[in-house]
Amino acid sequence: MDTQAMIEDIRKAIIEGDKTATTYATQTALDAGVNALTILNQGLTAGIDEVGDLFEQGEYFLPELMLSGRAMQAGLGLVKPIIEAQNLDQSNDDTGTVVIATIQSDIHDIGKNLVASMLSAGGFTVYDLGVDVPVQTIVAKAKEVKADLIAVSALLTTSQPFMRDLVDILNATGARDQYKVMVGGASVTPEYAEKIGADGTSANAVEAVRLAHRLIHEKHGMGK
Amino acid sequence: MSKYYDLIYRAYHGPMLGEEDWDLEKVAGTTSRLVRKYKLTWDPNQIITDDPGLADTIFAAGLELAKTLGVYSRSTGRVIEFSGDELEEGLRNMPQTLEFGEGKDARTLYARKICDERAPLVWAGSSGSPMPENLFKKAMMSYAQEPIVDMINSFSLTSVNGVEVRTSGPMEIAAVRREMLMARSVLREAGRPGMAVLAAASAVSELGDLAAANPVYMPPTDAHLVPMLNELKMDNGNLSRAVNGIEYGVRNASLPCVIVGGLGGDVPGCAVINVASFILANLVCLADYHLLHPIHVRHVATSTRGVMWVENIVAQAFARNAPAIIVTDSFPKSGAMTRELLYETAATAILSTVSGGHLEGPAAADGAANHSSGLEARLMGEVGKAVTQQRLSLREANEMVLKLLAKYEHIFELPGGNPGLSFDQVYDLETLKPIPAWKAMYDEVKVELREMGLTALH
Repeated sequence: MDTQAMIEDIRKAIIEGDKTATTYATQTALDAGVNALTILNQGLTAGIDEVGDLFEQGEYFLPELMLSGRAMQAGLGLVKPIIEAQNLDQSNDDTGTVVIATIQSDIHDIGKNLVASMLSAGGFTVYDLGVDVPVQTIVAKAKEVKADLIAVSALLTTSQPFMRDLVDILNATGARDQYKVMVGGASVTPEYAEKIGADGTSANAVEAVRLAHRLIHEKHGMGK
Repeated sequence: MSKYYDLIYRAYHGPMLGEEDWDLEKVAGTTSRLVRKYKLTWDPNQIITDDPGLADTIFAAGLELAKTLGVYSRSTGRVIEFSGDELEEGLRNMPQTLEFGEGKDARTLYARKICDERAPLVWAGSSGSPMPENLFKKAMMSYAQEPIVDMINSFSLTSVNGVEVRTSGPMEIAAVRREMLMARSVLREAGRPGMAVLAAASAVSELGDLAAANPVYMPPTDAHLVPMLNELKMDNGNLSRAVNGIEYGVRNASLPCVIVGGLGGDVPGCAVINVASFILANLVCLADYHLLHPIHVRHVATSTRGVMWVENIVAQAFARNAPAIIVTDSFPKSGAMTRELLYETAATAILSTVSGGHLEGPAAADGAANHSSGLEARLMGEVGKAVTQQRLSLREANEMVLKLLAKYEHIFELPGGNPGLSFDQVYDLETLKPIPAWKAMYDEVKVELREMGLTALH
């Protein structure tokens, strides 16, 4: 099987959300000596980009996103250690580690789950802490896993103040510069995000992933 | 009610399962299988269907889903399972009439039929929208003063005495009680002291719900929400809301906001989940009636094609197979002082009225801001009445909804939505009348609706 065919198998497996097939196709390509970065960019990432497009077009729905996210993580688990061990050029890598949660007092998680799935599918390492997560727990987890980005959501207007607490705590402990902070939820506006000192918000999950990439790019550009 | 305590026992002793396995393998997997088994499809140009067989099939698939899965307790990580007999008994016991409110302001909700000739009741207001304390009474009065309104919704207070309200804390208790005292005050001033309220909008957790359970705030002739979580899930907070109503007696409104494009996949799968949710809500929410409120995975609004199709088919499915009191929640994308809000309101009112629902809302601008007013609720009620007076058929209603969609569907592509203006910008706060430009827009849209064929609209 030539390289292009192996790459195509990986891309298809991601689009089909088939974790087993992704693992098999990725390992097959690695065993055949295909460059890990080529597998990442032309196979895994190309596939997941198409999944995002299909979701945006209304062809794919939440289950497909979640399944492709699982498949992507399986593929990344094989290629990322090699890329890091071989010190391959990752200057274009705008992914990173994300701690995500529905903020303290709010139990609504579908938007948060969508964003978590899409970030995971987009190559980010995602720690999803669930719903109604105390602000201190989020900050502690971000510190523990050396997160690049903290993403929190609230559907309820009366839960939004806890988002402001998060930014306040980061400021008060001198940790604000270590993390980018994204906020989201049906009633969160760009004005609100700016007002509380977050780095941004987005109208939907697809835009959230774009924003995350942009923020990571900015963070890396700041000389992390 | 000992059955409910048995249900709580099951929540602590049912089979254990990881939440992601519930989501993907149980809900998404089983729904997908049922959609294939029953060969379910939808036509984006048949938003209001005239296909009794399809409604019956959706009901059968939803019942099978409910029997197969049960409900997941997020608090315990266990599945609350039900036998088919229990679910069918729950369907048989669904109230067919239910009185709300007191005295001359009392109203009786009833299970409506498809193309029912009786006008739907109007439960008006932007339920749960955030509202500053200083505008609360005036905004609520804009609904209470409308003669066409039968029952009323309330707003979530964002502050009390200038102190920010936070969920699940002391200020939620304060907000709930202040909200309900102000609501009762508004109803007395409007000369409608016995009008029922969907209470309390500031009770976003069970703490607030408990705080409202006193006749001074939420008399037993009001309704309160007992929501389900997405999809087919409960937690101890929402079970507590149901328990709160057991001895107290307040009406339980089940609220499963099934996400169209979520775990159910495409539109038909989400309709199946919505049917299953109502069937299960009879038991886990102790539902007296059901709020039909699917939402769109990206646009939220209830006025997208897919969401409207779900509303139509679920209401018809119950009207044909297990008559229930269903109230359709209208959450348009657009806000006050936009023509699109009026088109969206009219479309959802037409759909609900012919499909077998009562009318609730509209919560303009997705209910995310105080961009609603009594004027669009007036239109909602007027359209519902006109539809029944004219005896609009399902096919005629569909044609009208398609015409309205052509007028507003572009808003879903607007980057910032179509939020319009806030209540205080569209109403004169002294006279509590809509500003002339907003009233003129309402008058013009009514002319358009008559020209579209809704000739009974006065």
